[in-house]
Amino acid sequence: MISRFTYFKPHNLNEAVQYLEKKEKSFVLAGGTDLMILLRRNLINAEHIVDIKALPETTAFEFIEGAGLTIGASVVVNTVVDSEVVKAKYPALNEAAASLASYQLRNRATVVGNICNASPGADLPPALLVYDAVVNIAGPQGMRQVPLHEFFTGVKRTVLQRGELVVSVQMPEPGEGDKSIYLRQARLRGHDLATVGVASRIKPDGKVAIGICAVAPTPKRLFALEDMINERGLSQETIEWAAEEIREHIRPITDVRSSAQYRLQMASVLLKRGLLALIGKEA
Amino acid sequence: MDNVKDCSMVTEHIESGKRKVTLSLTVNGRQIVRDVDPNMTLLHFLRDNLKLFGTKEACGEGECGACTIIMNGQAVTSCIILAVEAEGAEITTVEGLAEDGKLSILQEEFISQDALQCGFCTPGFLMSTRALLDNNPNPTDAEIVEVLGGNLCRCTGYIPIMLAVRRAAERERKELGR
Repeated sequence: MISRFTYFKPHNLNEAVQYLEKKEKSFVLAGGTDLMILLRRNLINAEHIVDIKALPETTAFEFIEGAGLTIGASVVVNTVVDSEVVKAKYPALNEAAASLASYQLRNRATVVGNICNASPGADLPPALLVYDAVVNIAGPQGMRQVPLHEFFTGVKRTVLQRGELVVSVQMPEPGEGDKSIYLRQARLRGHDLATVGVASRIKPDGKVAIGICAVAPTPKRLFALEDMINERGLSQETIEWAAEEIREHIRPITDVRSSAQYRLQMASVLLKRGLLALIGKEA
Repeated sequence: MDNVKDCSMVTEHIESGKRKVTLSLTVNGRQIVRDVDPNMTLLHFLRDNLKLFGTKEACGEGECGACTIIMNGQAVTSCIILAVEAEGAEITTVEGLAEDGKLSILQEEFISQDALQCGFCTPGFLMSTRALLDNNPNPTDAEIVEVLGGNLCRCTGYIPIMLAVRRAAERERKELGR
């Protein structure tokens, strides 16, 4: 490891923000399941590691009726997998969380870390996107909120500026009758990154939301496709049409996990399968 | 144990030269206070500093589970955790399973079912299973598979391991009243 870093564990948010702003080459540590690998592979050169797990704001994991769910930046993925309220209210998030990496890694990996790492193939963003998640960011100028669909700016890039850190992610409570599902394709059933992951949601008013990963430089919410589906009205026929139309809304690449062509095909299949399951029909 | 010679690992810890941090934690029931390099992983700390060589390094990136330990009741991969993150933690390693020199039921069943050949992955399997059975004394096969999915074995095969876990769970329920 070429990095030589100091370790700092702040106990209040101001202290953390000031330190991150002042010190060059400082990196935020929560679960460490991505950061430690970047350090080990010498992909980053860190001089300061800021462990945010003692910040009270990052440990929040709460659901408030009417207001929705808040997941602090220190909350690990298995907490979300085991949560009854997430299973009941945000099933696509439960399914995406349960599909992430291995059990041991989910005991350390955080939900917010999966966002901040900004991998194109991250499993949690598609699910968070369909629930209109908002990212709460602390920085030198105070707090700001960014909708998750505006948070990613490129492969492993986000809107975060120097001195800023994500404190939590929050999403409104879905109404009665809301349905959602997360489906992913990987090379093997166990521990593998997604080849394509699709979160589909049908809101109580019948409007759809679609989130997808591993088919573009960032995880994406497919707003244009959603509008077209909503205009046509949800039906088996519309779903079959959408499964073809989705190809026009994504730009997958060929890499070690899949060809671009296969990703297009799987995006089509997973969208169709997901939406049909949500309206109670088999694909 | 401090006179035990070094036991080599795939990666060696290189001292960063940064100011050491005082770390206090509990390992296998023993209260420990040491000054550690902030760049040291928990795995290196257990092996190099505490000379607990049961916990293994294989991939070093959290993929294989050979370095699995129990930290505050949860199975985690110690190769991608910094030692300083374990401040105040309660840690159990494979050395903490036997009591007074007597193997635990779980260890006995790994032996009776031939659930190991080379044994390199075994401490990790044992610790993942220990955490599972502590939280859920009567797991389904699907739950066992889910939890052990993060542990790779390249020689025994997984069937004897599954059998050992099932039998250990059964015996613990019967003999320890879990």
